[in-house]
Amino acid sequence: MDTLTQIQTLVTFAWWLALDLCVLLYVVLDGADLGAGIFSLFVREPHERGAIMSAMAGTWDANETWLIVAGGVLFGTFPFVYGATFSYLMLPLALALWGMITRAVALEFRHLAHQRWLRFTDLAFGLGSLTTTFFGGMAVGAVLQGYPLTTTPGQVPTYVGGALRFISPFSLWTGAAAVIAVLLAGLLFVRARFEKAEPIRRQAASWTNGVFYLALVAVGVTLIVSARLFPWAQLRWFGPHMWLWALVPLAVLAVVVRMRAAMRAERDLAAILWFNAGVALMAGAMLATMYPWLVPGTWTIYTGASPAVSLFTFTLAMGGFIPIMLMYNAYQIWVFRARISALAAYH
Amino acid sequence: MQDSPLAVLLSRLDFAWITSMHILYPPLTIGLAMLLFFAEWRWLRSQDELWYRLTRFFEKLFIVNFAAGVATGITMEMAFGILYGPFSQAAGPFFGQVLGYETITAFMYEAGFIGLMIFGWGKISRKMHLFATFNVALSSSLSAMWIMDANSWMQTPAGVVFKDGIFQVTDWAAALLNPDVLLGFPHMLLAALELALCFVAAISAWFVLKQRHAALFQRSLTHAIAALVVVAPLQIYLGDGLGRVVADDQPAALAAMEGHYHTYNADGSVDTSWQVIGWPNAKGDDFAWSISIPHALSLIETHSWSGKVTGLDDIPAPNRPPVVVPFYAFRVMVAAGFALVPLAFWGLILMLRGRLSPGNAPAQRWFLRAVVAGGVLPYIGVWCGWWVREVCRQPFVVYGLMRTDQGVSHMSVVAALFWLVGYMAFELTVWGSVWYFLAKIVRQGPDLASPVVAEGNQPLGHLEPAPHDPAALPSYVRPI
Repeated sequence: MDTLTQIQTLVTFAWWLALDLCVLLYVVLDGADLGAGIFSLFVREPHERGAIMSAMAGTWDANETWLIVAGGVLFGTFPFVYGATFSYLMLPLALALWGMITRAVALEFRHLAHQRWLRFTDLAFGLGSLTTTFFGGMAVGAVLQGYPLTTTPGQVPTYVGGALRFISPFSLWTGAAAVIAVLLAGLLFVRARFEKAEPIRRQAASWTNGVFYLALVAVGVTLIVSARLFPWAQLRWFGPHMWLWALVPLAVLAVVVRMRAAMRAERDLAAILWFNAGVALMAGAMLATMYPWLVPGTWTIYTGASPAVSLFTFTLAMGGFIPIMLMYNAYQIWVFRARISALAAYH
Repeated sequence: MQDSPLAVLLSRLDFAWITSMHILYPPLTIGLAMLLFFAEWRWLRSQDELWYRLTRFFEKLFIVNFAAGVATGITMEMAFGILYGPFSQAAGPFFGQVLGYETITAFMYEAGFIGLMIFGWGKISRKMHLFATFNVALSSSLSAMWIMDANSWMQTPAGVVFKDGIFQVTDWAAALLNPDVLLGFPHMLLAALELALCFVAAISAWFVLKQRHAALFQRSLTHAIAALVVVAPLQIYLGDGLGRVVADDQPAALAAMEGHYHTYNADGSVDTSWQVIGWPNAKGDDFAWSISIPHALSLIETHSWSGKVTGLDDIPAPNRPPVVVPFYAFRVMVAAGFALVPLAFWGLILMLRGRLSPGNAPAQRWFLRAVVAGGVLPYIGVWCGWWVREVCRQPFVVYGLMRTDQGVSHMSVVAALFWLVGYMAFELTVWGSVWYFLAKIVRQGPDLASPVVAEGNQPLGHLEPAPHDPAALPSYVRPI
């Protein structure tokens, strides 16, 4: 592979930040939708499950699209990583995609379906959300572990290690942890989107406490396991700047305290925003830990980058399109912001 | 290099299946969005309620189709890396960038406005809603442009050198404006419009035939037919142009889709005959039998009486594409395209004689039945057209430069089968539910009773209750 010029190295770094932003936006925005979907598995009343779907009807598509944008940036800027990693992740991605398809179809077609099919569409919606979350989480864990590459001269290194390599105790754990984290996001979303007096909102509120502590434990376990398993994490966390890194958990703790306060005071939007701030903080710290690896031990952002990256295309995308995208996304969420009641119809 | 030919074949089938099941939806999204914009614009200009009812009715169908398009489309972007990892890596510098631009400039753009278009009625002003519809139409067309650009580059890979296993872009302009896209994109965009027009015409004709809301659907029927009078012949013209690009740049592909085995006849003269139908012999180096028209091929491809057209025997054996699928798919596509022209002109003549006026239209039973049946023709055309395009490029994934077996991921037969069986189940379910729900909406008919939406200045409620009154309810509960 050709080496990158100095400008290209900078542009690659900037694209990596953009990729991280897209993934983070996806996790934060669609995480709430997926979590509300998992929560709907435990909601008894069919019309309440329908209301959960109505609550996200106007925005789920745009939220999910951030994943597509992340995929597009990955393919465009880091094609070597894209091609090898997605072959490695064939099974979890296929399963997560099937979950997404099921979920989308159930959500969009529910209001057209006959009464007796509602149990089926609702189950499909809930299980689709669960499958997507779990296998998405597993895929993240599998990426953190890295994978071997071919070394054929004259060819781009690629993955040939079979379809099952992604399964490990660690990736199974990250799958489970993803479900817990996303469920918390979903509960906060339900709390914020429904009238205060609605029973479904009260059910969500009563769940929040337990899931909150579960999520806290999950984060702690993931942190400890990562520190034990991954030399690249040890190197950063317990290296010369150890005291700087120790500030991160403190900052997260401060955010979590604020989130709890907002939850107690029923300031639901504030709770969501603090939750998202916590996710952003932890994701940022994780990415800083991994840098320069995109797939630890396998691809750095510079070995994985396309030799065709250029300042011109980057400026076009970042200066022009992504700010506009953020603007109309925000407008859309603003239009669909108000609380609803469970009796709300689809249209 | 993937070793097992069966795994390669399965990978091709995997991708063929998900693309074939995806291309059922986006053309209607693209075309119908344009028509919805037209109808909504007519409503705002004329304040004629019929246009409003038509917009709302066809938008319901649009939503079902759109949801299926998204559900099947999310897979597509991931599938390049999953099923064709080495291809994605090698072609990434160009192909990946183009797909990246598609998601950034078109896909997200569309997703942002579609929510407003579907759920924004009565919440945003009428003009803002029209603007949202316009943006959905524009963004979905943009999306088609990028996708066609990426695919066309695989057909006519210009502006790159294939070095060290990577397609290195040497000339962005040449790669973006490769020979195939200049007609390939208009051909596809017009196909989307033609498909949507036939879709609207078929459903409208069905209502008129059943004498349900005949006055309403007579309007959409006549407008769609009038547009088809222009679109259907234009599409044949564009298709002919694209055929000649293929003849110039992909001689092997042209020879395969025309079943043109020999450049020269046994006596040394140029083989100019066009095969109408035929079937290859056991060795696969000639037709066992065929019906052919002398000079027709030279006329079609070179626009001359006996111009030379490269036959398959001039292509090295390992580089020859299969013949049967493209040969027949091409003929079916052409037949579907040509059949729509007389249908449109039949409608035009009836219209000029006043036979399709609101009072007279239901009496034209044979015409209406023909229009209903014509609704499937563009779907068949789109499918067959893509099969021609993709199968004719074989055995290459990037024409002439990278072979398909170099491009596929190293999957076991079991993994490839797992994917195929899984997607068969999922996408047939999606297809079945789309049919079921489209039919259900059509059976229910348009909603003529609910009031026309207002300007959308209702208070939307508030996010957080005012601090001094924690129990305050929003002043207005939105209908969603």
